[in-house]
Amino acid sequence: MRGIPATAGAEHELHKAHRLAWLSIAYVMSTIVMLVFVMSGSQALKTEMSGEILSLIPPTLFLIGDHVGRRPPNRRYPFGYERAVSAGYIGAATALLMAGVYLFFDGGMKLAAREHPTIGGFPLLGHVVWTGWLGILVLVWSGLPAHFIGKAKRKSAEVLHDKTLAADAEINAADWQSAAAAIIGLTGIAFGLWWTDSAAAVLISLEIMRSGWIELKTAIGDVMDRRPLTLDRKEDDPVADKIDAFLRRQPWVKDVIVRVRERGREFTAEAHVVPRNDRISVEEVSRAGMLACDVDRRLSDVTIAPVMEMPDDVARARQTEEA
Amino acid sequence: MLRRLPAIFVLLVASCGLPRDPEGTSERIASTHQLRAGVTDNSPWVNAQSAEPQGIEPDLVRAFAHRLGARIIWTRGSETSLAKSLEQHELDLAIGGFESKTPWRRIAGVSQPFAWTADGKQHVMLAPPGENRFLLTLDAFLSEHPSAPKGALS
Repeated sequence: MRGIPATAGAEHELHKAHRLAWLSIAYVMSTIVMLVFVMSGSQALKTEMSGEILSLIPPTLFLIGDHVGRRPPNRRYPFGYERAVSAGYIGAATALLMAGVYLFFDGGMKLAAREHPTIGGFPLLGHVVWTGWLGILVLVWSGLPAHFIGKAKRKSAEVLHDKTLAADAEINAADWQSAAAAIIGLTGIAFGLWWTDSAAAVLISLEIMRSGWIELKTAIGDVMDRRPLTLDRKEDDPVADKIDAFLRRQPWVKDVIVRVRERGREFTAEAHVVPRNDRISVEEVSRAGMLACDVDRRLSDVTIAPVMEMPDDVARARQTEEA
Repeated sequence: MLRRLPAIFVLLVASCGLPRDPEGTSERIASTHQLRAGVTDNSPWVNAQSAEPQGIEPDLVRAFAHRLGARIIWTRGSETSLAKSLEQHELDLAIGGFESKTPWRRIAGVSQPFAWTADGKQHVMLAPPGENRFLLTLDAFLSEHPSAPKGALS
């Protein structure tokens, strides 16, 4: 199947990821609707709601992106459509980051102005209960299931090698933190501490900014053809070294520089090769390209370019950033 | 044990008197037996011309004060001056035909609606900002005293 790694069970995992995305959207919608009812004068709940609305974007982009990104290449888009998703993510991540900054100042100003949040009664089944208690219930709903949805997404992201899904999973899994902050804010209000609400709102806005930053880094790295990282972004993905080692084992190869790009969930690699002598067979080169493709299941294509000597710019790909 | 948890929670919360008022409005009313109410003329909701304000809303406030065991100290003023006084915690509530979409909700607390007009407007009282215990008491009182069913007033 185009657009997913040739791993066993990847197709099944893709269906699962689709269901998770739809589940995410329905779940977040339910949270938003409930928050509308209990929001009253709480800045923490307002901030939490903005975060929830923004968290609709990644699963939506996943569904659209999966649809668009799998279109086959054509004359106009010879490399295919995978990058469309990355482009969408840059926009979404920027929005997330900016909303975080806005909410940070919004909460900060309320704190500075010593604004007292007003939360009154809510008519429920013939009784009037304090809306703050209902707010806490909604927050538990917004934090707990999100954690498990995040974990499930993380698993799919690993099988599918989908960075944007991994980033979304990470944000979902951390959702309980902002819910907990808002719960502490509301509990503070209950105890007559007006400032805990805005303080919690500021904390949540920091979490929103962090999510935006994570997504922005992932997306920008993508469109800039950054050296592929592992899904947790902690270290370099071994794929380039694996191709490099494979080609160096070929008897006709003297020097190799491998450059790998990530296109959505797949890799394409370009290997500049300096042969030991200037007579090499086409068969040897094309077979090496095909076999190199097998060193990692996520590779969709390895291009081998035989050269007499390494072009300057290609040679620079060996240098570290600082040099 | 698990089945009793909600009951225990309600008991605990009630015994701590949660939520509390940051500025202590409820406690002050309980100790001084004074309810400071602001009125502004808006017939038929409030008629502030006579010495003792008349109308639907003053009647409600009198019933509320009776419930609290408090005497009412009336203050007359414009909407603006009443809202400012609420913000400064110089009043405990204000009436004057305020609707739930009132612009004063930016600086004051807004009660649950107690009356609905034919064109769908909801009538509310204003309370000091952030005095959540007092507002909850007021909301509970108003829910027991809906002054007019939906669509009965125009």
